[in-house]
Amino acid sequence: MPDTTTLTETKTSVSPQTPWNVIVHDDPVNLMGYVTYVLMKIFGYNENFATHLMLQVHQQGLSIVWSGELEKAEFYVQQLQFHQLKTSLEQAE
Amino acid sequence: MKVAPTLEGGLRIDPETAEDWHVLRAILIDANSHDTDLATRLGGMVTDERVAEDWRDFVVPDLRESFADDLNQIQAAIETAAAFPNDGESPIWITREDAFSWYSALNQARLALEERYGFGPDPESDPSNHQPVRHEALLRSQFYCALQSFLLQHAL
Repeated sequence: MPDTTTLTETKTSVSPQTPWNVIVHDDPVNLMGYVTYVLMKIFGYNENFATHLMLQVHQQGLSIVWSGELEKAEFYVQQLQFHQLKTSLEQAE
Repeated sequence: MKVAPTLEGGLRIDPETAEDWHVLRAILIDANSHDTDLATRLGGMVTDERVAEDWRDFVVPDLRESFADDLNQIQAAIETAAAFPNDGESPIWITREDAFSWYSALNQARLALEERYGFGPDPESDPSNHQPVRHEALLRSQFYCALQSFLLQHAL
């Protein structure tokens, strides 16, 4: 039997994945009320918050309406595009 | 043409003249008058190379099919109403369940007109300055927008 013992220490480093942003862009056709309605329907946002995001889209040209893991972000972008909102998907910097 | 909300939370459209039917059928013509189809344009918004290829291969065809289904549904509603008048009336009923398809079809038509004519969010205040074809397109776009507002208010 050896008189020494080797201890192995394993360190696991978990870094949070960089989130993905779901971005709605302004367009000249979609009604403001409709954008608010869609954001409430898809994300379950209350009317005040959905209106705030809609106004960002309208006034600033775009709004990050959700951030998180890729799989969910893809789902949300797909849903928003089904509702004909100009929506893109970008990994946050 | 008369458009009115129903007690069930939908809308009823009563076309009264041949021109009314023409405008309703024009929704479908306008929606299909684009250079690049809406599904391709929306899908093109996803440009990250880790996602874009799958988007083109899987999501865009689904979008295209969904948008075409909406157009087919409202075409069937219009033509059924036109073919089977009742006591001289041919109302088109839009139930709550149908409302999104109508909204979608009207949006497709407005987007295609916008792509073609570039009316912008605030069309020129004097449409009489427009060429006749453009003027008619603007009027149709404004009618579609009014109908969408009605749908949003009463049926969605």
